[in-house]
Amino acid sequence: MVKTLVLGLGNPILSDDGVGIEIVNRLKSLVRDDDVVIEEASIGGIRLVDMMAGYDRAIVVDAIKTRGGVPGQVYRLEVEDLAGTLHASSPHDLNFYTALELGRTMGMQMPGEVAVFAVEVDNIDTFHEGCCPEVERAIPEVMDAVLQELQS
Amino acid sequence: MNKISIDPITRLEGHGKIEIFLNEEGEVANAYFQVPELRGFEKFAEGRPVEEMARITTRICGVCPEAHHMAASKAADAVYHVEPPPAGKKLRELLYSAFFTGDHTTHFYALGGPDFVVGPDAPAAERNILGVIKKVGLDAGGKVIKLRRDAQRTVSIIGGKAVHPVCGLPGGVSKALTEEERQEIEGYAKDAVEFAKFSIKVVDDIVLANKAYVDLIMSDAYTQRTYYMGMVDANNKVNFYDGKVRVVDPEGKEFVKYAPSEYQDVVAEMVEPWSYLKFPYLKKVGWKGLVGGMDSGVYCATPLSRLNAADGMATPLAQAEYERFYQTLGGKPVHNTLACHWARVIELLYAAERWLELAQDPQITDPNVRTIPTATPTEGVGIVEAPRGTLTHHYITDENGIVQKANLIVGTTNNNAPISMSIKSAAQGVIKKGQPVTDGLLNMVEMAFRSYDPCFGCATHSLPGQMPLEVIIRDASGTEIQRLKQNC
Repeated sequence: MVKTLVLGLGNPILSDDGVGIEIVNRLKSLVRDDDVVIEEASIGGIRLVDMMAGYDRAIVVDAIKTRGGVPGQVYRLEVEDLAGTLHASSPHDLNFYTALELGRTMGMQMPGEVAVFAVEVDNIDTFHEGCCPEVERAIPEVMDAVLQELQS
Repeated sequence: MNKISIDPITRLEGHGKIEIFLNEEGEVANAYFQVPELRGFEKFAEGRPVEEMARITTRICGVCPEAHHMAASKAADAVYHVEPPPAGKKLRELLYSAFFTGDHTTHFYALGGPDFVVGPDAPAAERNILGVIKKVGLDAGGKVIKLRRDAQRTVSIIGGKAVHPVCGLPGGVSKALTEEERQEIEGYAKDAVEFAKFSIKVVDDIVLANKAYVDLIMSDAYTQRTYYMGMVDANNKVNFYDGKVRVVDPEGKEFVKYAPSEYQDVVAEMVEPWSYLKFPYLKKVGWKGLVGGMDSGVYCATPLSRLNAADGMATPLAQAEYERFYQTLGGKPVHNTLACHWARVIELLYAAERWLELAQDPQITDPNVRTIPTATPTEGVGIVEAPRGTLTHHYITDENGIVQKANLIVGTTNNNAPISMSIKSAAQGVIKKGQPVTDGLLNMVEMAFRSYDPCFGCATHSLPGQMPLEVIIRDASGTEIQRLKQNC
C-alpha cells in the first residue's frame, strides 16, 4: 500500500501564487482513494518536514518563476532540480531539498519519491484571489498530470 | 510538458538586496536593506466581514500564520466590543504559547543558531541545521523534531487546523477543550519544558563557554542603542498574547505604555524614497533617519527588546534565566543585537512554561469559550507579540462588521530601521579602505540581520524556497563597484 500525499503550496490570496492550492482543491472531488491525502498550505521549509513525514510518495504542486519563463508553462521537476546549495543563508527557513534531507537524517519516514509540478507564474505580489488567464489555462493540464502520476 | 533544466528565481529578484554606499575615502557611509512590497492588502480587506480577517490573514505570512490569527481575532473582539470569557482567552493563549515554543525552536536550531553552534567561521555548507545536529548530537535533532510536532499538534487540537488555525471568533473561540485533549496537550507541554531547559544548556555549553563567541556578541559592530518595545502584563512581565505595549528608552527607563487602541498616538510611519517598506518610529521622539540614541525615534521589537522593555518573566525558570542574562551581559538594557539569540531561548523557556501552566489551568476545559457579541461593530485594534516583534491589526467596519479600512504593522516592519543600522555597523566592521571585500562580508552582514530573524512571509513558499541575498557596493558617486550574490 503506497501512501501518497498531494500537496498544493502557495498563497491563495496573492494572485498567481495560489495556483498550486487551486489545483489540489479542484482535485479533491476527483480523487477517491483512501491512500491518497490531498492537502494545501501556505508554508515552506522546515514546516514541510512535518507535513510530508509518514508518506511513501509526495506530489507537490507549486508556483515557480524562472528566468525567461512564459506564464502558464508547466514543469515536472525532481527534488534534485531544486537542491541548489545547502547553505543556511535564508534568514527564515530551509529550502525544500534541505527539509527532506533533515527529515531523513532524523530517521523520519520521508517520501522516497517526490514529484514536483510547477507552474510558471507572473503576478505574485498583489493581494488578490485568482490567477491571470495564462496561468488559469494551465490548471487542467496540471490536474491531468497529477492524476496520471497517481496512476503510475 | 517540458522536462527542462530550470533556473529558478524567486519573487525577491532585485529586492532581497543590501546596498552599501562608500564615501570618498572608501569607507562605509550608508547601508540599506530592501525587501519586496506586497501590494493591495488594504483594498483586499475592504468589503470582507471582519471576523473573516482572522482566517484570511493567516495566509499573509508563511512563517507566523498563528500570530496573524491571534492579532486579527483580538481586533475583531475590539470591533464587536466584546471580551472573550476566561476559557476562550486562555485557549487562545495556550495555542499561541505552543506556536511560540515551536517557532523559537526553529529559529534557534535551524536559522540563527548555526552561526554560533556550528561557528561563524565554519564553511557555509555546514552552517545549517544538519551542522547543528552534527555538533549537538543526533539526539538533539530528534528533540527538535518532536517539539515541533507536539507544538503543531497542540495548535491543531485547539485551532481546528494545523498551520492555519480557524478557531478565533469575535468574543472567543469556536470550540472547548475536552479533558482527554487537555491531558494530551499537558503531556506535550511537560516535554516542551524539558526541551527548553536543554536548549538553555546548549546556549551555555556552546555559546557562552566560548570566549570568541562572547567577544563577538559584545563587539561594537553588533551594538545598537535604540528604544525597545514589547508587550507586558499588569506586572510589567513579558506577555505574548495580551497586555499593554511598553517602550523603554535607550537607558532602560519607561518611555510610554500604551493600550492597543492608542497605537497611533505612539507609532508613526515614515516613507523613505529608497524602500518600499515603511519605517515605523516613535512619534513623540521624531524621525531622525537611520540613527540610534535618545533623540531618534527608531525602536526595536525583538526578543531582546521584549526582555529590555519588561521587568521580568512571569514564569519561574524563565525569570531565573532573565536575571542571569542581565548579570552576565552587564545590566539593563542590553544593546548587543547578537544577544537576541540568547533572549530568544529565554522566551522559548517562558513559552513552554506558559504552555504547561495553561494546560494545567482548571478553567481551560470550561465549555463557556465564547461571548456572543451584541453591540454594533465599529472599529478595533488587536496587538500580540509575534516571534519577530509587535504585531498590530487595525480594522474599521460599517455597522454590519464589513471592513472599510484596514491597517497592519507586522513584526519585522518594526525593525526595518534597526536592521539597516545593524547591517551598516557590521559592514563598517569588515569593509576597510583599500581591502578587497570577500564572501566573509556576506556572512558578517547576514549575521547582523539574522539576529532579528526577519520574516518576509512572501518569500517562504515559492520555489526554491530560499531567500536570495544580494550585496551591492557603490562608491561615493553611486557607481556600482562590486556585487556579491547568494541564492540569486
